[in-house]
Amino acid sequence: MTLFAEVVDWGAVLEVIWVSLLAGVGVTAIFSIGILAAARTGDQQKGGQGGAATAYAVLALLAFAAVAAAMVFGVVVMTQKD
Amino acid sequence: MDSDLVLIIVVVTALAFDFTNGFHDTANVVATSISTRAMAPRIAVAYAAVLNFVGAFLSLAVAATIASGIVEADLINEQIVFGGLMGAIGWNLITWYFGLPSSSSHALIGGVVGSAFVAEGPDAVIGSGLVGKVAVPALVAPVLAFLVAGLAITLVYRIVGGLRPGSVTRGFKAGQILSGGLLALAHGTNDAQKTMGIIALALVANGQLEAGSDPPTWVVVSAAAAIALGTYMGGWRIIKTMGSRIIKMDSAQGFAAQGSGAAVILAASHGGFPLSTTHTISGGVMGAGAAKRLSAVRWGVAGNIIVAWVVTIPAAALIGAATYGITRIFGTGAVGPLVVSIAAIAVIALVFARRLQQGSVISAAEGA
Repeated sequence: MTLFAEVVDWGAVLEVIWVSLLAGVGVTAIFSIGILAAARTGDQQKGGQGGAATAYAVLALLAFAAVAAAMVFGVVVMTQKD
Repeated sequence: MDSDLVLIIVVVTALAFDFTNGFHDTANVVATSISTRAMAPRIAVAYAAVLNFVGAFLSLAVAATIASGIVEADLINEQIVFGGLMGAIGWNLITWYFGLPSSSSHALIGGVVGSAFVAEGPDAVIGSGLVGKVAVPALVAPVLAFLVAGLAITLVYRIVGGLRPGSVTRGFKAGQILSGGLLALAHGTNDAQKTMGIIALALVANGQLEAGSDPPTWVVVSAAAAIALGTYMGGWRIIKTMGSRIIKMDSAQGFAAQGSGAAVILAASHGGFPLSTTHTISGGVMGAGAAKRLSAVRWGVAGNIIVAWVVTIPAAALIGAATYGITRIFGTGAVGPLVVSIAAIAVIALVFARRLQQGSVISAAEGA
């Protein structure tokens, strides 16, 4: 087992695991929040709630911007050597 | 002179492999987008091809692993690399013929290891590299993608569960254009680098490149072009298995599967792990399906895919070893690789001709 522990760079493997979990689950969840907020924006506008509609619109924009930023960040990190 | 000729054959063969890699793996990248109708098939394929090309320029960490981490570069000659490539191409074509999404990466690694083992004995194979850089990621990646996609889709359903299905579907279809693109980028970077690594290995053997240095620009550009072209030509047969036979998906699941697959592949590429994009995306697709309903995944097809995973490295190793043995019958010159190349092209032409005659064929995945 000690041989196995030396052969595998567990630090790198663990990094792949937590980065994947954070990025995969996080980005998907934030995108869903964006969709939720976008749908609520429409509902509030129809209901005549201008203020609430604006708040939801801002939330949707923030969520989509965060998703885009996460994707760009991922690609930029790729292009850099460690 | 003779060894230069072998080098040329190896480079051409490597690019041909890269082409079949793109051809074979198109399904992984575009099946979910097509299955959920986020994109029209033609457009999805063209889009994936372009991002494949771009992705190939992102990183060289995986190429370095292939070129120096799995076999002893000092012991390798062009003939061994050629044997390995033929092992990978042979296995790719066999799995393509039967409609099984096996792993091009593992086929390549298996082929080279088999060929090097027969040529130079166990010393030529870096066992620790094979275990640490290939075997462990091979086990971790699909399970990880399965878990990430499963968790992601569970959260998604909690968040958007109360909304009208129409707007949710539209939103995630739009999202799939992003996640599908990212996946193509991730695929391009991990898979094209394997070809770059192989060509680098041959260049080192030929004395044109110092061991441990980055592949030259022409290698990067031609590998990127070959995989993109292969992707564009597409693997419609495998698209059917991946996109609809494994699981029926809604666009939220497609988004979760693609996003999770891309996250795992990009993270692993950065760490220099040449993982199988096929395995990873299949894991993501199954995870996104299983979280909704276990019966949504057609486990019979999934089982066939798993069998193809397990046998890929040994099967490609055998073909690679056999190819090396055959080329050695003709000595160490260029004759062996030439003869094998011509024979291989003849066999491939024959297989294609038979396929065309038979028309659309029921694949092994469906028959089982």
